[in-house]
Amino acid sequence: MPFILLYLPFLIGFGVAPMIYALDLAFTNENGGGWNGFGNFAHTFEDYRFLPAFEHILLYTGIWLVALIVFVTGLALLLHGRANRVSSGFRFLFYLPGALAGAASVLVWLFMLDPAVSPFSFLMHHVFGIQLFVQSIAPGHLPFVFAMIAFWTGAGGWIVVMYGALNTIPRELEEAALIDGAGPVMVALRLKLPLIRRWIAYMVILSFATGTQLFVEPQLVNEASLGLVPDTWSSNQFAYQLAFRYGDFNTAAAVSVDLLVIGLLAAVLIVTRTGLFRRGD
Amino acid sequence: MTRIAFVARARRQLRQSLLVVGVVALAATAAACSSSGGSSSSSSPAGQGSASASGTVGGSLTVWVDAVRLPVAKAYATAHPNVHLNIVSFDGDSNGSTTLQTKIQLWNRTGNGWPDVIFSEQVNDPIWMAEKPFDYAEPVTGLIPASLLSQWPAPSTAQCTINGTQYCVQDNLAQVVLWYNKKLMTQFGYQVPTTWQQWAALGQKVATQHPGYIVGDIGDSFSHWIYFWGNKCPLQQVQGSQVTINPSDSHCTEMASLLDPLIKGGALPPLSVFTPDFAKKYGGSDTKILMMPGPSWYGHDLFLATLHTPAGQMTAAMPLQWGSDPVTTGQVGGGPWIISRHSKNLATAADFVKYATTVFNPTGADARPGYPAYAPMATAWLAQIAANPYYAADPTPALKAAASEIWQGWNLVTYPDQPVWANTVVTGLVAGKSLSSLLQPFGHALGQAAQAAGYQVSQ
Repeated sequence: MPFILLYLPFLIGFGVAPMIYALDLAFTNENGGGWNGFGNFAHTFEDYRFLPAFEHILLYTGIWLVALIVFVTGLALLLHGRANRVSSGFRFLFYLPGALAGAASVLVWLFMLDPAVSPFSFLMHHVFGIQLFVQSIAPGHLPFVFAMIAFWTGAGGWIVVMYGALNTIPRELEEAALIDGAGPVMVALRLKLPLIRRWIAYMVILSFATGTQLFVEPQLVNEASLGLVPDTWSSNQFAYQLAFRYGDFNTAAAVSVDLLVIGLLAAVLIVTRTGLFRRGD
Repeated sequence: MTRIAFVARARRQLRQSLLVVGVVALAATAAACSSSGGSSSSSSPAGQGSASASGTVGGSLTVWVDAVRLPVAKAYATAHPNVHLNIVSFDGDSNGSTTLQTKIQLWNRTGNGWPDVIFSEQVNDPIWMAEKPFDYAEPVTGLIPASLLSQWPAPSTAQCTINGTQYCVQDNLAQVVLWYNKKLMTQFGYQVPTTWQQWAALGQKVATQHPGYIVGDIGDSFSHWIYFWGNKCPLQQVQGSQVTINPSDSHCTEMASLLDPLIKGGALPPLSVFTPDFAKKYGGSDTKILMMPGPSWYGHDLFLATLHTPAGQMTAAMPLQWGSDPVTTGQVGGGPWIISRHSKNLATAADFVKYATTVFNPTGADARPGYPAYAPMATAWLAQIAANPYYAADPTPALKAAASEIWQGWNLVTYPDQPVWANTVVTGLVAGKSLSSLLQPFGHALGQAAQAAGYQVSQ
């Protein structure tokens, strides 16, 4: 309870209150006018930028989540099977890209993706056939590019968390499995993986919400590419444009509420399917 | 250890970890919030001085300028020690960014914080600044004497006039001319073209005789202002709340057919002139730019400052004409100064704008990069340029002639059309599509942007 007391004012100030404000805006007219029902939602849905923006972020989130689940879990399991000194070195190595937070990492990636200055230009020239920066950020590549940026900035932290989760598995269980004749692969897949299932579910819930709220990456790429990437690429950017280019805070709030609903639905689905909060085993 | 103890410990650890993650997330949010207001560095509120519109010059004044206009703001502060000038530099609202929309919306919502004067690189910004919901711009007619205002060219005044009231003054004119490399043209034995057709024929010749050299570029967010505005393509004709967007007009399709073989042949690359790729391929001491239709500020800003083309090579020729049609040209830029209607120090704000547009004209390396919009200063500036050894020949006759040839059938609109060109057409050209095939999608996308901004669209 003392912990919650510290946390509560911030949760209300920066989480609950803005959410209630957004709900109020989303269902009313401009200038605090009357009840508008789903008018704002219908209006944004009919906008030509709505569907592409949501398609983009769902595709991006899908690619990113699959990469996150497969590689984070895989790497954490591999690390956990190694001697302690080796694994701590690798843990640090994996965590390092994540130390470059947010906007800074995007800027580094902009250089990595520009064949003129990238240290990996040979790879881009010969494997992907990319000669120019504009080809790196072609519309079809963007969900993959953003997923890659997000993966490398976030994966390290999650690997450390997963490693921590794996450490909670008692050694006796592992030893018992080994005595029963299970190899390292069998131990990883049949013993460790089921025991950290809830941690994976937790990672997916948080990452899903982060993924659908993508903003900084496409916004910076929009500016760095001098407008080649639309400024409404993601749904969060679309909400931002509605609010600040058109001064329409009500429809912007409607898009935010859409994102909230998608995030909540995904969370409920994952929680019920994985039994994240089920007590006892 | 029993299984129950293990589960209990795991749960406790999970709870602790969740708490740690929560605290970290909170810290990140707080950090993001505290850094978001970073760009406006002025701490004292605008317009605290005692002066009013009819009052004396002095007190406190906040101005927002881009990097290029920073010297003029600093010079004003030095020349006016009685004015406490807060200079805030920002991106100039370039390339269709929403910096100013965002800031003005926020100032309007909080009811304070507006700067007294803004310079914008986007020539269409005053259009929305004068209208709801932004309502930022103050008419300049009562603030700057009519005798001064009449010295701006008529097309320039027209661009700043919204519903019969003038809301801004242009800092510089950005008429499009034909820049060319005199040294290379002589070396290759080519004549400087006067029509688009001659230019295109030469471009095809260059592609076979001197591959790698270019006669222009089409990968900038403003390339349609060079090629389509200049050729009277009706993509932005505003009448009241109605905008005509007709990419099927022959003025548009003919130009696209003319450019397509050049793009395909490599003489007209779809690459922005401001990218490192462009500088690497075509800039530097062994420049590959043979010709380049472009605005007046290319001479200093692009060839000298960005691409480092050596002195004694570049100069400007008359804008290209379409066959035997009268010469019309486009423009790219021509940023305006806008005074805030919320300013409590209008006299000083007006004095600052007068200084920036009619007085500030340093010589030598500090010279203004763009063609001054205020006519008497343009004369002085042209005399400087004519004597500037950087140019291979005197570019001023072409610059001066083009200033009055900007086609007036292309109106400024509240929505940014340049990003639409970039993400519809340029990305298509990079992917190998033809310009002709992209005209219809471009018109369609422009129509959507116009409708979203509240215009009625007709073809």
